[in-house]
Parts: sequence; C-alpha cells; structure tokens
Amino acid sequence: MDSNDFADRLTASRIWRSVFRHGWSGSPLDRSLATTSNVFFHLHPVKVDRRSLRWSYTFGLGIISAILFLVLLFTGALLMFYYVPSVERAYPAMKEIQLSVPLGQFTRNMHRWAAHLMVLTVVLHMARVFYTGAYKPPREFNWVVGVFLLLLTLALSFTGYLTPWDQLAYWAITVGTNIAGYIPLLGTALKQALIGGVEVGQSSLIRFYTLHVAVLPAIMSLLIAVHLWRVRKDGGLAANERVEEE
Amino acid sequence: MTPTKTGTGKTPPPETIDNVFPRHSGKTYALAEVMPGETPMVGKGPEGTVFSYPVVLLWEVVLFLGVTLSVFLFSLFKSAPLEEIANPLVTTDPAKAPWYFLGLQEMLEHMHPLAAGVLLPGAFIAFLVAVPYVDGACAGAGRWFGSTRPLRSARRHVGWIALYGLVVMPAYIALDNAFTLRELLRGSAPQWIAQGLAPGGILVVLVLLPAVVVRLRRAPAREVVMALFTVMFVAAVVFTVSGFLFRGPGFELHWPWRMPDGYNPWDAL
Ligand code: HEM
Repeated sequence: MDSNDFADRLTASRIWRSVFRHGWSGSPLDRSLATTSNVFFHLHPVKVDRRSLRWSYTFGLGIISAILFLVLLFTGALLMFYYVPSVERAYPAMKEIQLSVPLGQFTRNMHRWAAHLMVLTVVLHMARVFYTGAYKPPREFNWVVGVFLLLLTLALSFTGYLTPWDQLAYWAITVGTNIAGYIPLLGTALKQALIGGVEVGQSSLIRFYTLHVAVLPAIMSLLIAVHLWRVRKDGGLAANERVEEE
Repeated sequence: MTPTKTGTGKTPPPETIDNVFPRHSGKTYALAEVMPGETPMVGKGPEGTVFSYPVVLLWEVVLFLGVTLSVFLFSLFKSAPLEEIANPLVTTDPAKAPWYFLGLQEMLEHMHPLAAGVLLPGAFIAFLVAVPYVDGACAGAGRWFGSTRPLRSARRHVGWIALYGLVVMPAYIALDNAFTLRELLRGSAPQWIAQGLAPGGILVVLVLLPAVVVRLRRAPAREVVMALFTVMFVAAVVFTVSGFLFRGPGFELHWPWRMPDGYNPWDAL
C-alpha cells in the first residue's frame, strides 16, 4: 500500500468523516467544504479586506491581547497543579514552585509578565479603536463589549495579585479593596462580600482564587468569543468603511 | 387563527409566519419577499479582499510565535517578585495597589475617597460606554484621527490637547502637593467642599476645558469626544506614572532616581 492509497483510505474512513465531513481529494466540492465547514470561520469572515490587515491600522493589538490570554490560561493551569489557596500553604507553595518545581519559577514569570502585558495591550487596543473611530455604527455594541473586557482584564489581574500571599499581595489588595468601601450605601457590604469579612484573610484568599481561576476566565473566554464573532458580523474591521480623502 | 370578516372596518389579524408558510398544506413551495433594509455587509464587494484562510491564520500564527517568544525571553531574564509571607501586623512602606490602580491611589492623595475612588472613575467608565452613542456619525470611521473635517486639523488638535494634559495634570499633582488644598480650606469650608467638591471640581474643569473650547468652535461631535478621551487618557497615564514612579516611602513625592531608603518602585511589579 503506497502512501497515497493510505491517505485515500484514511480520509474515506468513518472516523475521519465523523470529524471532517469531507475528503481531501482536491475536488472542487472537497475544497470548498474544507473552508466552509471549518470552525475557524465562526470567528473569521471568509474574505477580509486588505486595508484591515494593514499593520499601521490595528498594530495587531486585539490579537496580541487574545494571544496573551491564551498564554495565561496555559501557564495558569500549570501553576494550579502546585498551588494551594490556603493561608498556611499558599506562600510555601509559591516557594516550592520557585525552588523545586522544574521550570516553576519560569512558568510563574511568564504568567506574571503576560498578565501585566495584557493590561497594557488591552488599554492600547482601546486607544487604537477609539482614535480610528472604529466604535461608530454599526460597531457601537462591540465597543461596549470591549469596555467590559477591559474591566474583566483588570479584575482578573487584581484577583490574581492576592494569590502569592506575600506582603506585596496582602497590602496591595488591602489598599485596593478599601477603595471599594467608599461606594455610597453599598460600599461596606460590597467590600465585605469581596473579601469575605472585615479584613483580608483566608476567606478573601479563597474568594479571590475562585474568581481568578474559574469565574472570571470563563466569562472572559465567552466574551472574547462574542467580541471576535461580532467583529465579523459588523462587516469586518472599520478600515473597510474608509472613504479616501481627495 | 381567528377568521377575518372583510369590509367591517375591523383591522385584519396580524401577519404571522403561518400566513407565509402555511402548515400542513402539502405545498412544496413557499412565498418569500425581498424587504428593503440594510445589513453591515451592504456595499462590501469582494474587491481588494483576500481569503482569511490561510492569510489571516498565518498572521495569527506569526503573532502567536512572536508574542510567546517575547514573553519567554523576558521571563528568562527577569523573575516575578516574591516578598516575605503576608503579615497583617507589619505594614509595608509604601503600601501600593497594583500598578494599574496607582492612578486611583494617586487621586486619593488629593481628594476624598468617594470622589477619587468611586465618582470620577465611575464617570470615566460611563463616558467610555457612552462614546459611540454621543458620536454616532459614521463619517471618519476606519481612519486614524478620522473626522468629518480635514484630517490634518483633527490630528493637530489631538496633539495640542495631549500636550495640554501633559502640562496641566502634573501641575495639578505638584501644586496640590505643595499647597494641599484640603488643608488650606480646612475650617473655612465644610468638609465636603474642602475634600470633595473643590479638588474634584478643579480636576473636572481641567478635563472639560479643551472639550468646551472645541465645542465652541463648532467642531463635530467626534472632535469633542476626541478632546475628552485624550485629556482623560493622558490624565490616567500621568496619575498612574506619578503613583508608580514618583511615590516613595510614606507615599511622598520623590524623583524616581532619588528614592530614599533604597526603595525601587520596579521591585513591586
Ligand atoms: C480582552 C480584551 C480584548 C480582546 C482579546 C480584543 C480582541 C479584538 C480583536 C482580535 C479585534 C480585531 C482587530 C484588532 O486586532 O484590532 C478587536 C476589534 C475591536 N475591539 Fe477588541 N479586544 C479586547 C478589548 C477591547 C476593548 C477594551 C475595546 C473598547 C473599549 C474593544 C473594542 C473593539 C472594537 C470596537 C473592535 C472593532 C475594531 C475595528 O472595526 O477596527 N476591544 N478586538
């Protein structure tokens, strides 16, 4: 059996067909199905305008933010293998990650620097969208989705900041959550709901941890998917709308 | 469906999907109608386009490799900080929030926490959400600093306004630090004026001023919004940089290169 034969048998097999629904023969039908039945096209249009690909239009900042989010999911999952969200064990777990887990310090570095960088790129992406007037109709709603993505990015970063349970973490969260206490009427209740008591302690750690590794990443993933899908549904990037000036 | 009496002057029943696609009629066809209306795809032909698969995909793969490689290399050389174990009994000096909230912490130095931590940032977020509804004109979309007016004047305006922010905002911080408005007004004005309205109001006026000037010169909404966004953005950057780089022990202002007690703001990232 030569390799072509094998490829044909493979792509005709029931298992292959259950995944791809089309063969790989190069016939026009297979070729068009290869693109139109591709999951890639939930978040991308089939064709994109050359103008929207110009580097000087987007600086790639939206994509870079999404990529950093993926890097954070990956390195975050690795850190979760070793981390324990308890006041007694969190800090020793951090020491262990840094000193005895293979590539532990390195993984932690990547997670932290990617997080800081993501706050930066999301803010710059917002400025880019603003100054290119890309929030104008029909993209108003996607801009609003974007504002929520910005707030989510900050919330993810802030909740993660407490997890190492060192002095830096403890006092940064104490200072940060004190501000929430000044919201009229709701402030005190909100602050206590957030840190689970009157001062930062075990109940704050477990709340911040749960928000950081489960609740907020889930919302973020969904909202990024909506955001990208909506870019396609709004007719691609606003660069396509551009009218040349004489 | 209720039967219709014609000619009685009563309004006919509303059109439902059953009128167009009758159920159980045994028909193998249905009527469809072309309605006037627009979608975002109107006027977008295939001219000047490329297939996103694989062109965009390749771009994304290249960016992915570039971004991960950069973070990878940086992480080889610079390690994330880990201080002593948390101790509620020992306050760090200075006690700083994460860097992206240091703009807020800087504002807290100048006014009541309700204004600095809640009202002004709340107004900023509300402004962001409102932007596309205040400036809903489509003209100028998809172009850097695009507006209905010639490009060069809009770009120049943004430049001047950014410069204004870069002068006025540090001046606000430095002057208030030197004279402390809250202290000057203590006793002579009620607390909510001394701590809230006066320092907060001055900041609001500084932010609104360029937008008012632009508005008075009959610029389109896009340029008014652009003036507001630019001042707020520059202010946020200035306050954040001040809180991060210029605040040392006791959250006092110092030159970053002359911090006392060997304090290095970069250690607290
Ligand atoms: C987690 C954060 C975010 C991610 C991952 C993200 C991702 C993206 C991506 C990949 C694009 C395609 C174009 C590009 O790369 O620039 C895009 C476009 C867009 N984004 Fe975001 N974004 C985020 C946050 C925001 C924020 C904070 C805003 C505004 C407040 C925003 C508003 C928009 C709008 C209006 C577009 C359409 C731009 C155009 O048509 O030119 N996004 N976003």
